[in-house]
Amino acid sequence: MIVFDVVLMVTLWVLAVGAVSQADLFKSVVLFVTMGVVVAVAWARLGAADLAMVEVAVGAGITGALFLNTLGHLEQRPGERGEGEDTSHL
Amino acid sequence: MIVVAALVLGSFSAALIRIWRGPSGADRMMGAQLFGSSGAATVLVLAAMLEDWSLIDVALVFASLAAVTVVAFVERTERASMPQ
Amino acid sequence: MEGVREALAVGVMVLGALFFVAGSVGMLRFPDVYTRLHALTKADNLGMGLLVFGLSLQAPGWQLVLKLVLIWIFVMIAGAISCHLVAREAYRQGVKPEQGGDL
Repeated sequence: MIVFDVVLMVTLWVLAVGAVSQADLFKSVVLFVTMGVVVAVAWARLGAADLAMVEVAVGAGITGALFLNTLGHLEQRPGERGEGEDTSHL
Repeated sequence: MIVVAALVLGSFSAALIRIWRGPSGADRMMGAQLFGSSGAATVLVLAAMLEDWSLIDVALVFASLAAVTVVAFVERTERASMPQ
Repeated sequence: MEGVREALAVGVMVLGALFFVAGSVGMLRFPDVYTRLHALTKADNLGMGLLVFGLSLQAPGWQLVLKLVLIWIFVMIAGAISCHLVAREAYRQGVKPEQGGDL
């Protein structure tokens, strides 16, 4: 059981540091979503089932979807909107 | 039971490596999906280990929200590459 | 009889966890997006199914078994949807499948 806790903690640290230190925004968002999942598992391990539920729904589900949506709007540059296909990000 | 937990955690770290290295966005998304399902599996095993069966509800939320981020990802790239 | 059930539950759950490990190894080792997706989804569905089966043998009531089966169904739906979407997206973005040598 102590091994389980240590692995969980190390994963959490790696994900948290990784999520804030990426140059690539998309990678950062994916790391953030996975960090939400690991935080939820940690809450479940601590016996807080309701907190874990909220963390999954809000931290991993809704916030991740909203971040990805925002990224989509950022990549669609304002000046080029409606002027044919924007292929700069491909 | 502890063996099961260890194996599922091994699956966790493999997904982490794939997210880190993944050459394309699809690979990263795949890693996130594996994280979601192995997270649900970990919570289920925890529920049996701790004899706390209310954790099953957490796994239920995990499973039902697993597709949301993937759909958001696909919708983003789809809209960005659509000729308007 | 109780001992047999316990042993069966643990055996099935270890098998399910092995499926998870196989899926992860496939995801690390396979050459392109499509084969990786294949490994991931199969492992998810079957590993989760075996895990749910093993837990159902230990669960104290039928309501919990119902919830466990519901989890499995949700995981399968999510796996199918996201596998299809990710593969289509990769295809549209022009990710080429790896060409085998002797096919």
